Amino acid sequence: MSDVQSFLFDGVSIPCTGRETIAAALERAGIRVIGTGQGDCTGRYFCGIGACQACLVAVDGARMEACLTPARGGLQVKRILPVSP
Amino acid sequence: MSSPEVLVIGGGPAGVSAALELARAGIDVTLCEQGPRLGGAIHRQPDDPTQSVRVPRSHKQRWQAMSDELAASTVKVLCRHMFAGIEATGAVLLEDRIHGRLVTRRPAALVLAMGAIERVAPVPGWHLPGVVTVGGLQVMMKSTGRAPDGDVLIAGSGPLLVALAAQMASLGNAPVAVLERSTRLMSVSVIASLLRAPAYLWEAAGYLLTLARSGILPRRGAFVTAIAPRDGRLSVTTLDRHGRERQMLVDRVALHDGLLPNSNGTMAGQHGPFIVRAGDCREVLGGTAALADGRLAAHAVLAQIGKAVRATKVPAAILARERQAQAALNTLFDYSGRDPAQLPDETIICRCEGRTLGQLRSMLSGDDPVSAREIKLNGRFGMGACQGRFCAEWVASFVASQRADGSPPQASEIVGSRWPVKPVPIAAFVTLPPSHPSE
Repeated sequence: MSDVQSFLFDGVSIPCTGRETIAAALERAGIRVIGTGQGDCTGRYFCGIGACQACLVAVDGARMEACLTPARGGLQVKRILPVSP
Repeated sequence: MSSPEVLVIGGGPAGVSAALELARAGIDVTLCEQGPRLGGAIHRQPDDPTQSVRVPRSHKQRWQAMSDELAASTVKVLCRHMFAGIEATGAVLLEDRIHGRLVTRRPAALVLAMGAIERVAPVPGWHLPGVVTVGGLQVMMKSTGRAPDGDVLIAGSGPLLVALAAQMASLGNAPVAVLERSTRLMSVSVIASLLRAPAYLWEAAGYLLTLARSGILPRRGAFVTAIAPRDGRLSVTTLDRHGRERQMLVDRVALHDGLLPNSNGTMAGQHGPFIVRAGDCREVLGGTAALADGRLAAHAVLAQIGKAVRATKVPAAILARERQAQAALNTLFDYSGRDPAQLPDETIICRCEGRTLGQLRSMLSGDDPVSAREIKLNGRFGMGACQGRFCAEWVASFVASQRADGSPPQASEIVGSRWPVKPVPIAAFVTLPPSHPSE
């Protein structure tokens, strides 16, 4: 844990170690709801292997699974808003 | 043109095994992995190498041997490259996540080793944050080296439930309970089959011993009937084998009802490369079989491109043995999930778009049979971002149970087979250069 950095998640600074995923860093920060999702389904960590797409977040503007994407210092990560209300 | 290139998709045991076997035969191999590191779900490596989860020693040794051989081999490894599909001209599309662009390749052959996905049978509330798959919680734990915090309930069916529970207990946070739906007991014939692959018996015995020490033995015949949010936690309703209902307040619920091959959208096209599936992506038989199956996939590729194949019956024999062991193991579990007749209309079926069982029931209430295309295009089941990976199989079996006309749609018909196999940002298509440097 020597190389502690941080990224921004919807403007909130989240510490990360440089080898973990965005999902792991958000989990450690106690953040469970990681997107607005569609219908009653909010964005969340679920399958952990990039299959369910429930943890999609915008990473510097591009949609990516939080469970597959390495967290790096300085990243701008945002919750994805629903396509339709 | 030099030696033909073979592309292997998936950096778990099957993909690495296939890549190594091809490299041993002098083939130019590129191994693509969607995540930042190789290992797959079974050999997920810790983020911090000093904090690792206890795994069976044989697993650790197996992966170490493969990693060492890979490092010394000619295999080119591309991490953070996702398989996006095969387009009409036969080009293989990869999404390069490092550079945010799409890459096209024209390999002589393609080995698909994308592993398994977990089956999770729907219950009310399974879409809530804090509800995860058992495998999802396990890969998170293997990565962080820490047990998930808070009160955790593990439920569903399968050997993975006790594996996760025991690993959590070893890391200092045993689950509050393990609910195993199945009431089936170990029989003499099951033990006889498993004796041919005794590693499973040792692994299970080790996990059950750890759980017994923590006082958390699985409650057989018990299952979750509903999950609801309450005060920032999850209120879970369970039923035991005697029909007694119980409420529990927990922080997380991990669900799992078996494994399915992760093969959506991987059908061979008319102009595409020679395709072989390997490991759990072809048939869910576990890690030991995946190694053997990777070698068999490599042999199929070598035969196809006219290279000599070293004759050996070893991988086929391993596969046969593991198939028998898995079949015996599966008789002990019950992957059926909650009886749909007991599920309320509000139950979410499509987790991506929040489509409910009530909406599916009303689609099926008319006199005319409903086609696979209607289920997807009108009902939007299998239409969302996961592309049916978590609902299509359940929807197909539910539709079949409601119809007696003998030709219910198959899950693969609901899902369809076209690229991209996963959502790809438009930006990846327009970021230049879009192609492989050699084209």
